[in-house]
Amino acid sequence: MSLHSDHKYPKWGVKLLKWWSKNAEIEDLLGDLEECYFDHISSKGKALAHLYYIRQVVSLLASYTLNKRRKDAKLKVYFTPTTISMIHNYTIVALRNFKRHKVFTTLNLVGLALGMSISLLAISVILAVFDLDEFHTKKDRIYQIGTIIKDDQGTRQYASTYNAMANYLASNYPFIESTVRVKSGFSPTVDHRGSEVPLDGYYADPSFLQVLDFPLLYGDPATALSKPNSIVLTQSAAALLFTIENPTGLLITTDQGDFQVTGVIVDPKQSHFYFQALTSFNTHTTANSSTPMEHDWQHFYRNYLFLMLKEGTSPTAMTSALQNAEKITAERNPELAISFVSVALTDLVPSWNVYHSLGLDWDLYGMLFFVGIGLLVLLPAVFNYINLSLARALKRAKEIGIRKVMGAEKFQIKMQFLVETILLSLLSLIGAVLIFMLIKDQFIDMMIGGETLNISLNVITVSSFAAFAIFIGVISGIIPAYYFAQLDPIVTLKGGSPKSGTSISMLKKSLFVFQFGLSLIFMIGVGAIVHTYSYALDYNHGFDSENILVVPLHGINKEVALQELATQPQVRSISTSSNLPGVMLPTALEVLPNATDTMSIGQVFIGSGFVENLQMELAWGTTGSEQQSSFNEEVVLVNRKFMEARRIFGDTPDSLVFKTSDGRNCKIVGILKNFNFEPLNEEIAPIVFRYSLEQSNYALLTLQPTDIRSTISDLDAIWTSIDQKVPFQSYFLKDEVEKAYQYIIIQFKIFVFLSLLAITISCLGLLGMVAFNTENRTKEIAIRKILGATNKSLYIVLSKEFLKIIIVAVMFAVPFSYFFYDKLFLPMLMKNSAGLGILEVIVGVVVLLSMGLTAIYFQTSKVANTNPANSLRTE
Amino acid sequence: MKGFLGEFEELVLLTIANLGVDAYGVSILKDINERANRNLSIGGLHSTLTRLEEKGYLTSALGEPTNERGGRRKRYFELTASGISGLVDMKSLRDELWKNAKVNLSI
Repeated sequence: MSLHSDHKYPKWGVKLLKWWSKNAEIEDLLGDLEECYFDHISSKGKALAHLYYIRQVVSLLASYTLNKRRKDAKLKVYFTPTTISMIHNYTIVALRNFKRHKVFTTLNLVGLALGMSISLLAISVILAVFDLDEFHTKKDRIYQIGTIIKDDQGTRQYASTYNAMANYLASNYPFIESTVRVKSGFSPTVDHRGSEVPLDGYYADPSFLQVLDFPLLYGDPATALSKPNSIVLTQSAAALLFTIENPTGLLITTDQGDFQVTGVIVDPKQSHFYFQALTSFNTHTTANSSTPMEHDWQHFYRNYLFLMLKEGTSPTAMTSALQNAEKITAERNPELAISFVSVALTDLVPSWNVYHSLGLDWDLYGMLFFVGIGLLVLLPAVFNYINLSLARALKRAKEIGIRKVMGAEKFQIKMQFLVETILLSLLSLIGAVLIFMLIKDQFIDMMIGGETLNISLNVITVSSFAAFAIFIGVISGIIPAYYFAQLDPIVTLKGGSPKSGTSISMLKKSLFVFQFGLSLIFMIGVGAIVHTYSYALDYNHGFDSENILVVPLHGINKEVALQELATQPQVRSISTSSNLPGVMLPTALEVLPNATDTMSIGQVFIGSGFVENLQMELAWGTTGSEQQSSFNEEVVLVNRKFMEARRIFGDTPDSLVFKTSDGRNCKIVGILKNFNFEPLNEEIAPIVFRYSLEQSNYALLTLQPTDIRSTISDLDAIWTSIDQKVPFQSYFLKDEVEKAYQYIIIQFKIFVFLSLLAITISCLGLLGMVAFNTENRTKEIAIRKILGATNKSLYIVLSKEFLKIIIVAVMFAVPFSYFFYDKLFLPMLMKNSAGLGILEVIVGVVVLLSMGLTAIYFQTSKVANTNPANSLRTE
Repeated sequence: MKGFLGEFEELVLLTIANLGVDAYGVSILKDINERANRNLSIGGLHSTLTRLEEKGYLTSALGEPTNERGGRRKRYFELTASGISGLVDMKSLRDELWKNAKVNLSI
């Protein structure tokens, strides 16, 4: 029609209809619309035609035809019978692409495999934690009673409950089949042939072994925990203490009395109960007979209660029972709002904001942190993929153009890219699983209680891994997929570069900045931990640990041993103590600063010469070793903190005299300067030093620094001449002090590993980017060379952009790591840490820069050194 | 017999039969608007066409690209056998009713 050129056809209707119809075919309808419009113009004029046009567009929008086609089109794309063969085709194309772009594929495979390995660890730990305590056959009927206390400080939920609760519920509510009381804090030290073996476990009711499925290897589950002072050992604890396999009936001697072994239990696995030994609950009640538990509605610390309901009882039955219990507690503790909850056994872990959990406390917060770290390491790998795919856009744009011309729809292009990335991430999952298997045991050993988790490859873990890999595939593929799907086939086929708008290059840049920033933060973390560790070791704790040999004095005549050991000419001085400095000190002494109050403080029994031997400094008085304690006045030393702590309770007529709760009068003859008797991460606590050879466990020998080995063998000979039954043991105090900081080494290992991963992945990405960038600029570089550019100027041209990125990364990572490490992480690691030093930051930046520059240098030198004639001749 | 034809549906089918091979959206629309003096919209017509196609009275196929209409193809409609028999059924019903009318229907 000739009229077409005279009048402008309104496009908005067409656009609206196309948008509304999405993928549906509406060519015929649009054709009809246009034809009718021009008919109207020729017969009725422009204004009326326009009105008519609006009416027709609306009628089409609302028409049954359009909406039916729209619906059909949607179904057609998702569920065509050819879907399977399309995916098959995509897979083949993807594999061909992998083969053809080997560098790209390897970079991404390695990056994703490294990145995913940590996440796999996190996933398997989480799966194992959610599966905890599922093995108990009666798990559906077992509940723990928790206590919720509301006061002016907020609401807190405790896993423990009042002592009297068990008796109250069991005697009043018949639907309860049995109650299991568990008290934590059973930690006897076993005297095992001269050395001390600490055990940790619970006081538990006899029903513990019947309600819960912890099978006994030896012993009778019905009676094993019924008599006082009977002990059930785990298999590994039994192996530690006995050589024979079945030690039932034997006695063990501990600092809490003698116990008879009544059973050996299989080591608890996949359970939040975490113990080496169980003792009967009445061991506790006989030891503390002054407090009748049945009426104790005051204390709930460390007192846990599990209920097993009768079969068929609905858990709601407990609600009213607990409400009645609340009435009792409300009477006795009117100032607190107390309520009780029942938590199913299998819901105890992972816990969220529950205080004083029994056993292993897999709280959700820690889990999330773990997942966060895993994702943090994975992100750079995902970014690599996005960056490298977008960088390849130039090469693939033609392929996409042809696909589109052949009739591929946006959805199909997206699918193709997603299939490709999912395939890639599934392939790298294989590598990730291999790395996972390698690092699994190391990591699990570092976790507290990690050995109880059953982490292995099974159907559930493998399928979650696969699901995770697919998820990661979608995440990393979605941006390239959308980018490629929107390419205009006409532009790409004409040979024009796809519009790389500022958004894409900004995206690439910011992803890069993130990667490098993250690597830098991890690297500074490594430095900060090393710094903290060496700071802790070099720190002047306030006592001398150099050349001091510790000899445990167990089962030997202490007086004779000291005298004889002192005869060795290399021994400069000798003293004794009950606890080693640099090691955690339990609070053991109750002191009465006035008539009403008590304070719990640490006590150390020392022998004469202890203060001089360790070169501790006195703030006032004498060491008092010459003064004899009389029967009603004991001579003691204290530290300054003690005096400060005591002052809080008010003035006393004589500040140098105090009473202990067991009725002894003590006279302070010397005050020591404050020093870190305990490791640096503990606050300095008030300590009383009492003289007693009887209570001393260790001899501390200051040795001449020369020929230490022969000195030790001499000492061994002397020891053996005194008593042949007790083997001679010795170690250096310095090593013992270092042990306290072992946990920093663990953190260090984790950080080194994570930063290695992050840096490797980021450098892989950088390498790839530089490679593609230089490849795309081959011709430009050739021309520059022909025009006389030197190699040096080429390096500058090629690396300028990447240098900028790295510098921006440094600018954001340095302040962040200062804040994170100095204010958050290091104080968490060690209370009195040195903070973040400038050296770590500088080293981190230098390492990052040199890594980045090396990667850039390798690639650019390859291009810069090629003959420009060659690169210009080839297309 | 797949249900009765509506009055408008019958009109559309008959128009298509009248137009023969040249039955596409705009020609049908114009024909109906002229003969029946209606002001029918494109959306309305196509809705009916699609429903008739679903019922099996019509088939449609896209034609060749044209020089008009921005190069867009036309969708041509054709009666199917069941479309024809539907029209025949309608007509015989109507004839029967005319024949048996007790009132004189001639003017």
